[in-house]
Amino acid sequence: MGVILGYVATLGVYFFIYNIFAFGLNIQFGYTGILDFTVITFMAIGGYMAGVASLGPEQPGSDIYYVLGLSLPWPVALVIGAAAAGAAGYVLGLIALRRLRSDYLAIVTLAAGSIVYGVIGNANGLFDGFEGLVGVPQPLNGVLKLSPNSYTLFFLGLAGVIMAICWFVAERIYRSPLGRAMRAIREDLDVAEAYGKRTFRVRMTAMVIGCVFVGIGGVLTIWFVTALAPAGWGTSETFVVWAALIVGGRGNNLGAVVGSFLVAVLFNEATRFLPAIPGHPSLISEIRNMCIGGLVILTLWFRPQGAVAERKARFFEIPLRPGALDEAAKSVPAMATSGS
Amino acid sequence: MSLFLLTLGFGIVTSAVLALAAVGLSLQFGVTNYVNFAYGAFLAFGMFFTYTAQSALHMPIVLAGVFGTLATGVVALVVDTLILEPFVRRGTSGFFLLIVTFGLSLILLNLVQAIWGVGFDQYNVAAGSPITLGPFSFTAAQIGVVAVAVLTMVAVHLLLTRTTLGRAMRAMSDNAPLARATGIDTRSVTRWTWFISGCLAGLGGITLALNTVEFQAFTGNTFLFVIFAAVILGGIGQIYGAMIGAVIIGLVVNFAGMVISSAYDLDAAFAVLVLVLLLRPQGIIPTLGKA
Amino acid sequence: MAADDEILSVHDLRRSFGGVRALTGATFGVGRGTVTALIGPNGAGKTTLVNVVAGAMKPQAGSVVFDGRDITGRPSHDVALNGLIRTFQISREYPAMTVLENLMVSPQGQTGEHLWTVLFRPSRYRAEERAHLERALEVLADFGLYEKRNDYARSLSGGQKRLLELARAVMARPKLLVLDEPMAGINPALITRLAEHILALREREGTTFLMVEHNLDVVEDMCDNVIVMAVGRTLATGTMAELRENPEVVSAYLTGGLVDVRAQG
Ligand SMILES: Nc1ncnc2c1ncn2[C@@H]1O[C@H](COP(=O)(O)OP(=O)(O)OP(=O)(O)O)[C@@H](O)[C@H]1O
Ligand SMILES: [Mg+2]
Repeated sequence: MGVILGYVATLGVYFFIYNIFAFGLNIQFGYTGILDFTVITFMAIGGYMAGVASLGPEQPGSDIYYVLGLSLPWPVALVIGAAAAGAAGYVLGLIALRRLRSDYLAIVTLAAGSIVYGVIGNANGLFDGFEGLVGVPQPLNGVLKLSPNSYTLFFLGLAGVIMAICWFVAERIYRSPLGRAMRAIREDLDVAEAYGKRTFRVRMTAMVIGCVFVGIGGVLTIWFVTALAPAGWGTSETFVVWAALIVGGRGNNLGAVVGSFLVAVLFNEATRFLPAIPGHPSLISEIRNMCIGGLVILTLWFRPQGAVAERKARFFEIPLRPGALDEAAKSVPAMATSGS
Repeated sequence: MSLFLLTLGFGIVTSAVLALAAVGLSLQFGVTNYVNFAYGAFLAFGMFFTYTAQSALHMPIVLAGVFGTLATGVVALVVDTLILEPFVRRGTSGFFLLIVTFGLSLILLNLVQAIWGVGFDQYNVAAGSPITLGPFSFTAAQIGVVAVAVLTMVAVHLLLTRTTLGRAMRAMSDNAPLARATGIDTRSVTRWTWFISGCLAGLGGITLALNTVEFQAFTGNTFLFVIFAAVILGGIGQIYGAMIGAVIIGLVVNFAGMVISSAYDLDAAFAVLVLVLLLRPQGIIPTLGKA
Repeated sequence: MAADDEILSVHDLRRSFGGVRALTGATFGVGRGTVTALIGPNGAGKTTLVNVVAGAMKPQAGSVVFDGRDITGRPSHDVALNGLIRTFQISREYPAMTVLENLMVSPQGQTGEHLWTVLFRPSRYRAEERAHLERALEVLADFGLYEKRNDYARSLSGGQKRLLELARAVMARPKLLVLDEPMAGINPALITRLAEHILALREREGTTFLMVEHNLDVVEDMCDNVIVMAVGRTLATGTMAELRENPEVVSAYLTGGLVDVRAQG
């Protein structure tokens, strides 16, 4: 009973975290059309920065090296992690969001991801290199003194609240004139520009908010696992987030949730608990990655809009000024309602 | 021999590897007008087909290399025909084609790893004594790599300038709708392009494996953005630009490795990529209306 | 025409693409409150001129003064925010947005486009949004697209897309509206209708129009002034009647088979 509960709660936490990742990517790609092929890098930056903000100072003599070590309380660490991811997104945006072909943008993000991966892995003094950070304190764990299972349930609640806030914010942006400008830019950047939209600024806004979201997911990740190392955030992890959004339905936050459940929870996380195949320890992960890649390609072929398609924007209905239609009909009598 | 000359020597070999890979990527990029993010996986196929041909089928390394090259071309052809071509014919936008190739890279790299395992492999090439050429000294494998690259570049040049296929490829690269309107069979040219691009990726993978000695499934993929840097530096679809870009990036990477640290040599390629995109996004040889 | 009556003054614009010299010196003015036509054979550089004037491309030489401001080489959003809106030769609606949304994007400087307002003060843009919505619905009614307001723009017919393009531009309340072949590829009934809309807009809102147009009958009917371009240069300016008397124009454009075949069809 306890084991199953703990397992389900763990999957629930991952579900919420992936929701946040997918919301972030949705703001970037689904709303604005930015091809961010290194989503997971911002998760790492957010996670690492929150980690070194909440860890105590580096212990001399221990084998773990890292910067900062500020012993800050967890809410501050959350803000630092989110801000760091947003700042990193801003810097990448300065390079990638200039008016380049969209494939260049994708290349730059991918390249920047490899670079950050290499630097974090090789620079031992930053976040302990390929070993990664360990022993990151969990929010309120010392105060609450709960059993591991109960703490997982508590964490599930915390992640749920943060996820709900992110969802709310993402929806509020979607429905606003800002979200509309983002979608116009996604549909046709040149036209939006010709209509007076400051496309660079709007795309940068989407880029940064998306990265902040992903960074928040990263903070939750490092809290939950209490550790983070480069092996946990390779390119294939970026693809899982992409798969969640494409399969679920880009441009729709409910789709992001559905996709996170289908891809990230059912496929990606649940299979991690399968026993390894003797003689070929990595085969399960290889098959999983192939399936996720295949799922995306099949989705794009059979249901390009994803499981839950983007909704049509609906405005609060206001009645037309009485007589407006008649006037229009009078002004051009012959063809008031015909098209061409 | 000074460190400078040593680095220059390594730089030339890296440039040779990069040129093979970059020309293949640029060719396909130019003709089809979308990027193939699965290109790193093609490099892996080249490496491992050759490895199997040598270690299991006991072919000599040169023959194994030819086999690996052609087999990778076939993989590229199959991938294009079965997956990418249908999407293109349906009019899928560039955005989604990129995501499809991104997904393909995940599938193919994991397929390679599932077949050949996670460990490092290496070819059975006799080390031999270093050969001195002027101020440089190279291993036999390195001389082989440079020779293969030079011969291949000449072959590509002849292909593009002397054959109907090559001229058709250039026409498509300049203006695909116009090429189609003038009666070029764009579908078959596209398929040939993928085959040739795959062969060049295979060769790039094999030479990369010879150069790094030890390799595994993801070795080529970590090199991918360095190849992109060379292609973008040269200008999309500009074959000669890609060659020049490869030489510049190859030298920059090695000298940065010498000056800073070899752990960060690839970062130098990224720096060049960023500079090019900021200062001259159309590349050193621009294509009209393409950048 | 005195220069201070000009809303747009273009002087000696030049632009080439590699070896192709698309603009080799375009000079003209557009009088405030006029409907001015820009005519010229295919490849004369009309679209390039529109692009350069509207900031979509940078000129290599020359200047553009709009409404008293030098806007040469300014980015397009800047030009648009100054009140110059252009449409595209090939309709470019936002396909996966509804017709109504296509219009709602256009109003400039919307309060609800600021992140801070959106996140923390959404009530501050509600009234403005409602005003935009009312106007959008009226414009749609005016253009006969009201029934289509909740359809995706991509599902419209070619002619309806033309109407949407103009309706969307009207929503931006431009001072000068530059139309690149607004009548291309649509039936004569719709041409009459678009022409009426344009004249009515000038009447009601005082908008100035500069339109690239191949159909000389339309130009004759509705335009006050005509600018003739050929091989990247402006050849002459005047009323249609004056231009018919100008031998240079006649040889370059009006006869000699250079008139676009699309204009006849
Ligand atoms: N982006 C570009 N790259 C290269 N050449 C271009 C580009 N845009 C236009 N040109 C060339 O510039 C010349 C002028 O083209 P432009 O489109 O301005 O003509 P136009 O007068 O609008 O013609 P049309 O009546 O066909 O619309 C043409 O020769 C065209 O091929
Ligand atoms: Mg034109």
